[in-house]
This record gives sequence, structure tokens and C-alpha cells, in this order.
Amino acid sequence: MISDGLRILRYAAASGFADFRTIYTVRTWITGWLFRVLCQVSFFALIGRLIDSPEYTEYLLIGNAVMIAAMESLFVVASTSWERWTGSVPLLIAAPASLALVLCGRSVQWLASGTASATLALFLLSPLFGVDLRLPMALVVIPLIALVGLSTYCFGLILGGLVLRADSLRNVVGNLTMLSLMAISGAQVPVSVWPDWLQALSAVLPVHHGLAAIRGVLSAEMGFTEVLMHVGMEAIVGTASLGVAILGFKRFAESGRRSGAIEFGS
Amino acid sequence: MIRLALAMARFQIAAMRRSPHDLMALVNAPLFTVIFLAIVRYTGRDDLTGYAVLAPAMITVFAMALLASGEIIANDRTDGRLELLVASPSPVAVVVLSRIAMITLVSLVSVAECWLVARVLFGKAVAVPHPWLFVGTLAAIGLAMAGTASAMAGLFVLTRSARTFQNSLSYPFYILGGVLVPPALLPEWLRPLTQVVFLSWGTDLLRDSLSEAPVQRVLPRIAAVIVLGGTGFLLGAWLIHRVLLKVRNDGTVSHA
Amino acid sequence: MTESSPLAVAVADLTRTFVRSRSRLPGRLKRRPPESRTALDAITLTVPSGEVHGLLGPNGAGKTTLCKILSTVLIPTSGIAKVFGHDVVVSTTRVRPLVGVVLGGERGLYTRLTARQNLMYWSALYRQPTSEGAERTAKLLERLGLEERADERVETFSRGMKQRLHLARGLVGNPRLLILDEPTVGLDPAAARDFRGLVRQLRAEGRTILLTTHDMTEAEELCDRVTLIDSGKLLGTEDPRTIGEWLSAWERVTAEGVPAELIDRIRKVEGVAGVEIDSEGRITVETAGDGTSAAVLSLLVDGGVTSLSTSRPSLEEVYLHLIGSRGLNVG
Repeated sequence: MISDGLRILRYAAASGFADFRTIYTVRTWITGWLFRVLCQVSFFALIGRLIDSPEYTEYLLIGNAVMIAAMESLFVVASTSWERWTGSVPLLIAAPASLALVLCGRSVQWLASGTASATLALFLLSPLFGVDLRLPMALVVIPLIALVGLSTYCFGLILGGLVLRADSLRNVVGNLTMLSLMAISGAQVPVSVWPDWLQALSAVLPVHHGLAAIRGVLSAEMGFTEVLMHVGMEAIVGTASLGVAILGFKRFAESGRRSGAIEFGS
Repeated sequence: MIRLALAMARFQIAAMRRSPHDLMALVNAPLFTVIFLAIVRYTGRDDLTGYAVLAPAMITVFAMALLASGEIIANDRTDGRLELLVASPSPVAVVVLSRIAMITLVSLVSVAECWLVARVLFGKAVAVPHPWLFVGTLAAIGLAMAGTASAMAGLFVLTRSARTFQNSLSYPFYILGGVLVPPALLPEWLRPLTQVVFLSWGTDLLRDSLSEAPVQRVLPRIAAVIVLGGTGFLLGAWLIHRVLLKVRNDGTVSHA
Repeated sequence: MTESSPLAVAVADLTRTFVRSRSRLPGRLKRRPPESRTALDAITLTVPSGEVHGLLGPNGAGKTTLCKILSTVLIPTSGIAKVFGHDVVVSTTRVRPLVGVVLGGERGLYTRLTARQNLMYWSALYRQPTSEGAERTAKLLERLGLEERADERVETFSRGMKQRLHLARGLVGNPRLLILDEPTVGLDPAAARDFRGLVRQLRAEGRTILLTTHDMTEAEELCDRVTLIDSGKLLGTEDPRTIGEWLSAWERVTAEGVPAELIDRIRKVEGVAGVEIDSEGRITVETAGDGTSAAVLSLLVDGGVTSLSTSRPSLEEVYLHLIGSRGLNVG
């Protein structure tokens, strides 16, 4: 049962990576995508220059580099709908395998690409902006960046399930979520500047805890247990999101069967 | 010809109302404003409030040029309308430019949108001590942006790689265009590059129009925006001409 | 439109070759030599004003290429094509207002907009004043039976409705020549019948219609004259009655449970071109002469065979016969 599930996930992921290869080659990923990522992080880090504060430059650089992992993971919101265009949704519902499992696996290419580009942005841009990350200790943050990517991916799956019902909104929803997370999760300004209710919201969303852990490790001012607590919280947010997402996919399949909204063909 | 242009502009409004994708940048604008204003408030740099309101508006104007205007011809091609358009008695360049002009006009609404976000959510009313300069610069930026968009619209049809890099054009342009951080604060080696980007002249003028101090050298700077933008128009017209030649000579505009 | 030419379409020695530069081999800089394909090979054709002219040929015959050239969308490699006396390569501004074009298939519409919005858009492109455009749009929607759904998005339309909207779009500029490229492909029989009724109306209004099809029945029913085309070459222009004769001359008779002795007798009937027997014992008799199928049918009925049917030959079969009997050289 579990091995069947893993096999389905693997095939779904393979189809996701195949999509990815139709968009990027290694060369265009570096010259096109990575270049944009570096520019995006620099754009925000430059605000530190405008403010004339090296500390704030560092704050923005770290926050926006980690946001890249979240941003790319959120492409899952749009690419979940791609499965609909292939016409495979009714076939998946008719098949004994779970639609949810396929949809969970089919966008992991973003997770991989996001972790890579966020990491590269952080380590390539730091010297340019005069930020000392204190290597090699800083390398510990790479799995933490992956964790932020993963929990955001799981959260994105929830939205992907919702957008399956409103295909034309797929890019809008992904973008708004990304910008909201960018605003309230501590990437640009400390979470504490926001009203209490926004802080509470931020705490149950991805990025917030993971980013706090990353900042803690890089500043070397946070105790080991505190870092571990933040990591645990980020993992909990991710796992809970995954659960909700799977329930959402199941409901989509069920309600589609009832309403006849699952169309055959294109 | 004017009647055709007006009809195309009206049509573009109808088309945009049905396309969340085209209006996405306008939906994003308030969130960008919130982010920049939060930074201003956190750092206690109230003097930069105007910067924080202008930046999201300029981001919106460019994003719509990139995503909505830039895809006009490409979408007509994929949906099988380009050939029908060529067969009609109307000049394709006029059709495309009228539609782009409308998109650009709509994108300028973001200026008011971002101003309102600052006023309502942050209680900051950005004053405009040089209103004529402000409006004139916005008009010049609109014109230049439409020119840039027409060049992109042609480019995205003619070369496949341009479409791959479409997503990558935004942030480099925001940096070089001095959208938030004035070009003067960029690293030395980047500054010559900003001189050829029309927006860097435009955003500097806009920021100047928001400060009480008298503004120096207005005309040459506005001229720089218009001349650089005009180059975009020429390039755009030439690229659209190339697209049509390709359609009529090869039967399709296949990617090179 | 002061000068009026009696010829709606005049095409002489029209040739179009497509050169496809093949993609580079991965990892190499050398290109493979370009491949060229002749879609139209020295075609000469005239269509008088007011005629419904059929272009009959299988897929890939060059029909669409000719439609594109006549609608100014494609430039010929050599030869001359004129519409109402205006050259389609040079005088595009003269030609375009005179021609309405409907390319087959569902593409070409703004699917998120309503039928009315689509037509208003095209009426502006065909340079009609807004009020006239609105009036004409309303009339066309009514004429094509779309008025009830006029303000609904095109993406909710059935294929037949989209096809009707395409036709309305083609008519929006009030064209003197209407080019219809495979207009009934994918339509259900009822919709195809309605469409044929409309073509007759348009002809009665004095419009010239150039219609491509690979359906011989359609060509026979609708057209004043039919031009056969295959692999870019013109095989001849015929009266549609000739096509009707081919259809009956090369009719096929299918029957089940035919005794072997009867099959032998059928083979000997004059005009029978061949008899095929499939693995289930069903026979298909190909005929090649007027009245032959009737003779075969009566033999079968007399022999007590009750499970039988006749069918019309496909375009490909007719071509085989034509090429065989006339020795046409089709590349």
C-alpha cells in the first residue's frame, strides 16, 4: 500500500519535472530564472542602502532570499490546474489511485528549484552586499530553507485544490498569497510591527517560524532549543496544511462527481 | 483611423474585464504598497513615504506592460486570430498599439490606488507640491511604457527565448528604472546602464515632483523619457512589421 | 468598388512552396538542409462573380493554402492571384474589404467574451461605424440563430454555435467574396444541413463563395462548379452533376451470407471493378459504371440475400478511379 503510494508520487513528480524541462533548460534556468531571483533579492536588499543601514540590509537580504523558496513553492497553486488541462482528472478519479496523491506529487519540481535558487541567492549575494554569513556554520540553513519550501508547498496545495474550481484565478491567488506572506511573515519587517490579529495569522501560516529559525542560526544569537522549537512549529504548519490539502482534493473529487463538474477531455 | 483606435480601446476594456490575468498587477499593487510603507514606518523614515507609494505604482505599470500588453500578439497567434486580423482591412500596428495604449492607461490607475492605500491604511496623504510636473511625467512615462510594450509584444512572438525570459525582465527593470531606490544610490558600475532606461529618468522626476524643493533641468529629463520611449515605439513598429512579413511569407510565425 | 470585374477570383500559375528549416541537432551547430514542400503547383483557376465554387480535395491537398493566399494572409511563391481584379499581393488594401474569410475549426474567437462583443470587435476591424456595426451584428446574430445566446460567453458555446459565429464574423464586413475553408468539419448532420441552407441564401444575395471541402455530397449539393485538387495540383473543374454521376457510378454494395456460386456470378457482371471478401464472409462489391450497382443488387435479392446495403465511395476511392481511368499524374 505504502510502496504503491510512493510509486504514484514518484511518477507524478516525474511528470512535474517533465513540465519543468519544457520551461527551462539548465542554461535558461541559470540565465533566466536565477538571474531574476538574484535581481529580486537585490531589489529589496538595496532598500537597506536607501535607509543607510548595514544591519537592515542583512535583514532584508536574508528575509527575501528565504522568500524565494516560498515563492517558487507557491507555483504549485497554478500548476495544480495544469493537471486539469491534460484531461487526466476524470481518469484519475475513475482510477483506484488517489487523485490527491498525484496532485501532491506533480508540482515538487518547484520545491527543488526554489530551494536551490533561494540558497544560491543567499550565498551569492551576501558578499556583494557586505553581509558576513559566518561560514561554514551558515550551511546549516540549507535544510531549513528546504523546510520552509516544503511547508509552503503543502500550504500551496490547499490553495491549488481551491483553484481547481476557478481555473482563471490560479495566478492571482498564488501571487496574492506570496505577497501577503512576504508582508507579514517577517521577511521585510519584524512580525511584531503588525497588529495582534495579523501576528496570530502569520504564526499559523508557513515561512514565519522557519524564517525565524534561519535568522536565529545565522545571527548565532538564538539558543539551540529555541531554534528547534521554531523548526518544529514550521513542520507542524506544513503537516497540518498537507492534511487539509488532501481533504480538499478528496472533496473536490466527491463534489465534482455529484455536480458533474469533472469534464472529460479538454 | 481614430474611430478604429477608439473601438479597439473599448474592446480592450471589455477583454480585460474578463481576464483576471491581465488585471493581476492592479490586484497586487495594494500589497506592494503595504510592504513598502511597512518598511518606511519600521525604519522611521517618513521622508520616504512618497517613494513607497510611487514604487508599487511603477511596478504595476511595468507588470501590465509585460504581462498584458506583451502577450497581445502572442495570444492572438495561439488562439488562431492573428491570420484573421491580417486578412482584415485594418492595419495590425494600429490595432495593437491602440490596445496597448488602453492597457497602459488602465495601469496608471495604480497611482491613485497606491495613494489611497497609504491614505486609508497608513493615514498618510502624500502631497504633490509640483502637480504639473507630476502629471506631465506620468504622461511621458505612459507614452514610453506603451512604446516599450509594443516592442515586447513583437519580440515575444518572434523569438521563443524572449518568452522564456519574460518572467525575468521585471526585477532587473525595477532596479535599473530606479523604481524604489534612486539610480544615484546604485553601485557605480550600474549607473551608466540606468541612463538608457527611460524609467530611471521618469522615477527621479516623479520623486522630485513630490518634494518642496525647486526641480532642476525639467525639460531635458522629460525629453530623455520621451526619446528613449520613442525608440521603443520604433522598435515595436519594426518588430510588428516583421511579424506580419513572417505570417505572410511563411504561413505561420513559427519560433526561430 | 467602382470598377467591377466579372471575375471574383482569377488565379494563374499560382505556386506556393514552404521551406521548413529543420531544427538544429542538439549540441551541434550545423543545420540540416532545409526541406521544401510544394503546397500549390502552378494552379490556374477562375471563379465568376456570383458563383458558389467548390474546392474539393483530401486533407493536405493545398485547399487551405489557396484560401490563405486569396485572403491576403499568405504570399505566393510565384504566379498571380486576383480578387475582383485586384492583386492579392500588392493591392491588399483593395482586396481585404471585399473578402470575408472563415477558416475551419473552433479557433479564432475571443472565448471569454460574448458573441456580440466578438462581432462588434470584427465590425470595427472591417471599418464599420459603431452604430452600423451594432445593427449589422444584431442582424447577423438573428440570422444565424444566435440571438438568444448573444450575450453569453463564447466558451459556453457548442461547436456548431461557434461555427455559426465564425460565419457571422466572416459576414460582418458585408463581403462580396466569402471564403469558407472546411466550414462543416465537425458539425453534426442537422447543423451541417442548416449551414447549407445559409450558403444558398448567401448565393441568392449575389455573393461569390469559395468553399473547400472533402465531402463530395456537400460539393455536389451546394456548388455551381467544383474544382478537384490533390497534392497541390489541379485535376480539373467539373460540373457538380459529374460528381453526382461518380458517386452513383462508383457505389459500393455490401452483403452478408452470399453463397460462393453467387459471388462468382457477381464478378462476371459488367462494370464490377472488384469483389472483396473479409474474414467474416462479408463481401464488398466495387462498381465502376452507371447502373452496375442496380444489377448487382437485383442479383443478390434474387439469390435470396437479405442483409445488404449500398454506400457512396469516399473521395480517395474516386480519386483512385479518376487517376486510374484518365492516367492523371498525381505527384
